[in-house]
Amino acid sequence: MATNHPETELIPYLRGELSADERARVGAHLAGCAQCRESADASSAMLSNLARVVDGVSEPDWAVYRSELRRKLRASQVPSASVRGRWRWRREDLRLPAFGWPSMAMGAAAVAVLAIAIVMHRGAGSAQAPSVDQLELQQELSSADVGLLANYHVVEHLDLLENYDVIEHLDELGPGNPRNNETPS
Amino acid sequence: MELSDEDLCSRIAERDADAFELMVDRHQARAYRLAASILGNEADARDVSQDAFIRLYESAAQFDRRSRFSTWFYRILVNLCIDHQRKNRWWKRLSPLATPGIDDPDERAVDPPSSEAGPEEDAMLKQSISRLRPALAKLSPQQRAALLLQTQEGLTSREIGEVLKCSEATARVHVHRGIAQLRKLISND
Repeated sequence: MATNHPETELIPYLRGELSADERARVGAHLAGCAQCRESADASSAMLSNLARVVDGVSEPDWAVYRSELRRKLRASQVPSASVRGRWRWRREDLRLPAFGWPSMAMGAAAVAVLAIAIVMHRGAGSAQAPSVDQLELQQELSSADVGLLANYHVVEHLDLLENYDVIEHLDELGPGNPRNNETPS
Repeated sequence: MELSDEDLCSRIAERDADAFELMVDRHQARAYRLAASILGNEADARDVSQDAFIRLYESAAQFDRRSRFSTWFYRILVNLCIDHQRKNRWWKRLSPLATPGIDDPDERAVDPPSSEAGPEEDAMLKQSISRLRPALAKLSPQQRAALLLQTQEGLTSREIGEVLKCSEATARVHVHRGIAQLRKLISND
């Protein structure tokens, strides 16, 4: 039968941390177990040496230490206020009014158009004239942006959560589409 | 009458600068030595122990007196040491922990040997302690912190559990495994 050695209780036993019952149980085990006695002695010696390790640490100049600490404390207080201020500004900035998000969407669309235009312009610079395919693509992209602009009156009344869904299906807002006459709540 | 640490902490929560100065004065040496023992680097120990005092100043109002002030403060300090080691783990792999007396021959490696021991015992003790530092650096941060809190600060297993946010039984396991690992590492040297 395997013996249960009270390995994790040996040091608490040596340090007098155990309750009377635990102490009696571990003591009885130690009396009959040479392996645990050897382990307890070795652990005790190791703990004694460990306590001396700290004495090898050289102490700093405490005046310099305190001076650095005061400077750090001042620094931690001043920037934290301005960081909190900046963060508050950003959070407030994100809490946009109803027209804020559509405006951002329009802005993003404008940036996308500009980026495409730059790419197309570069493409045009490298060739004599745009190909038919390029013209068709350009026309298609422009018409999509015009659709976004043409339906701006719808976009500007959108709630935050509706925006992406509606903008994604903006092409369905054509004159033949009956849903086009519905006013978003 | 001298104010207790707990009372000083209450005053610090009210932004009493003198109370903070007094608290730093009381604990700076122990905090620095404990951080140096855990981190194995004196420059890091200075930074981290100073950060612990700043954290103390900022969160003194959160000390609820359910534990001793020292246990609460050591929790801040040890957590900062462990975080610091995690952040710098990759760098520590490249630059092993400094060992006084080995990396810098002018630096004192260990405390002066006891006058009671003979020269042979002194030499053996000095040797075994000088081997302990690099071996300590190989333990997990929790094991190292548990051992140092026990041997240097005299904390009980229950208090070590409070500092490391684990049960008393887990704290005992950290200590036991730390000792077993140290014995193994030193015997393999």
